[in-house]
Amino acid sequence: MATVTNWIDHLSAEEVVGAIYPGAGSSETLLVIVGIVLWIGWHVLTNKQESEKLESMARKKRGANDYKSNITDW
Amino acid sequence: MTDQLTALTTIFTEFYYWVTVVMMFLIHVGFCVYEVGASRYKHHQHTLMKNTMVVPLVTVTWFFFGWWIYWAFPTGPGIAPSIMNESSALITDESTFSARWYVANTEFMAVNLGDRISGVFWAAFLLFSWTAASIVSGAIIERITTFAFGILAIAIGSVFWVIDAAWGWHFDGWMLKILGYHDAYASGVIHAIAGGFALGVLVVLGPRIGKFSSSGEPRNIGPRNPWLVTVGLFLIYTGFWGFYAACNIPIFDLGPEYGMEGVTYWTATNIYVTPTTLSGITFNFLMSLSGGLLAGYWIAKGDPFWTYSSGLAGVICASAGNDLYHPIQAMIIGMIGVVISYKLHYWVERKFKIDDAVGAVAVHGYAGFIGLIICGFVLNGYPSSGYSVGAMWDGSTYASINPLGQFLGAIIMFGVLGMLPGYIIAKVLHGMGKLRIPREVELAGLDYEMMEADKEAEKAVSTATR
Repeated sequence: MATVTNWIDHLSAEEVVGAIYPGAGSSETLLVIVGIVLWIGWHVLTNKQESEKLESMARKKRGANDYKSNITDW
Repeated sequence: MTDQLTALTTIFTEFYYWVTVVMMFLIHVGFCVYEVGASRYKHHQHTLMKNTMVVPLVTVTWFFFGWWIYWAFPTGPGIAPSIMNESSALITDESTFSARWYVANTEFMAVNLGDRISGVFWAAFLLFSWTAASIVSGAIIERITTFAFGILAIAIGSVFWVIDAAWGWHFDGWMLKILGYHDAYASGVIHAIAGGFALGVLVVLGPRIGKFSSSGEPRNIGPRNPWLVTVGLFLIYTGFWGFYAACNIPIFDLGPEYGMEGVTYWTATNIYVTPTTLSGITFNFLMSLSGGLLAGYWIAKGDPFWTYSSGLAGVICASAGNDLYHPIQAMIIGMIGVVISYKLHYWVERKFKIDDAVGAVAVHGYAGFIGLIICGFVLNGYPSSGYSVGAMWDGSTYASINPLGQFLGAIIMFGVLGMLPGYIIAKVLHGMGKLRIPREVELAGLDYEMMEADKEAEKAVSTATR
């Protein structure tokens, strides 16, 4: 996985290779796919979470000033 | 890098943009603080989290596709040929500034010893993207779902503003060539589009419960914490300094760039690669801020909320031409923008029942729109680019700045790429039942359950003996 194992060899090469992250040249596309899956997955999970929470709150039909009883005094 | 002067220039430029990014972070801090101050107690935490999530959502999508759009779309596509490859297609060829190098899986989108600018330049533009999304965020507080806002934030932050930046900000953009469009510090490219987008969403979203009486008279729902609003807006002002600096190229030799044989001319340039100075834009930033504050204090009769917002609106209105204006021109333009935006805000609110909770459409949208039009008159005849000077509609050369081009540019920014997509996406989300929170939740407060849980915990802690 290591792209660089010896800085002296790397920087004294006739043409210095710029990309120095692990898996350079072989892993980028896979990383992008994983990233996109995580991003879309986040929307799916949090949308479900939010919908359930809003439905549950809506069922309780609280008044516009009820929240004041939740303000702590210390 | 083996040449010391090249190394110094490159690493100075890298560091310059990095500093602007850190400064611009304060814009987002300011927006978060400001929104919390403007929202009511029972919605505070939700309001904060909604705007905070702009940071990861716009960042990852900016990495995946936003940055690519900027480099791919300057030609339209199909409207005016690129000066790099003379094609009107998407710029995805082998040319130096092609989008090909900014696909998410290329080696330039990472730590690369051969490229020290892409990351910081990407980040500077990303911070502009957060700003665009944050502008929308303030207008729609207390009644939108976080899911819907996330989609809208990605749309404005990683798609639509980037298209307008490719068209009207990129040195190869078709709007410069066809229209002579000029918008050095983003009156339209960021502010008019984001304000227009917010207005499109507000039309569908509707007002907060209680905002309008049964006879349609608007009621004021003022900021609940004016001190947080104050701190928030001061932070936005501070971050705006970084924004101005980030819109410049700090050091560039225009001689070879313009093909001038034997000429060497090192200077700072604006985003269009035409000369300006950091010193000059500092004059104009401060004078337009002052013009906005003076006019805002007068028109709003000393109301702190509008006075602070007017400082911002003053800068936004003058931003299109602040690379070239005289400081007193910048001040007067800032004043004009504030007065018109303030009047328009209340007229639109009353006439169309639009509830813009923080005045974002006025401060960003109307002030940006007006600033573009004024710029067309004040800078009429200046070249929109240094590469070539041509006529409007030609397309292969660059038109000069002119009132008609700026007016059409303002329509494109505010209406075509701003309000229209905002309205359509909000309509789709509304159709899915995902746009607005239930009425019962809006009344009770989005934070109700969090507050209730905190109360129980705190009650237990306060009576604890061990």
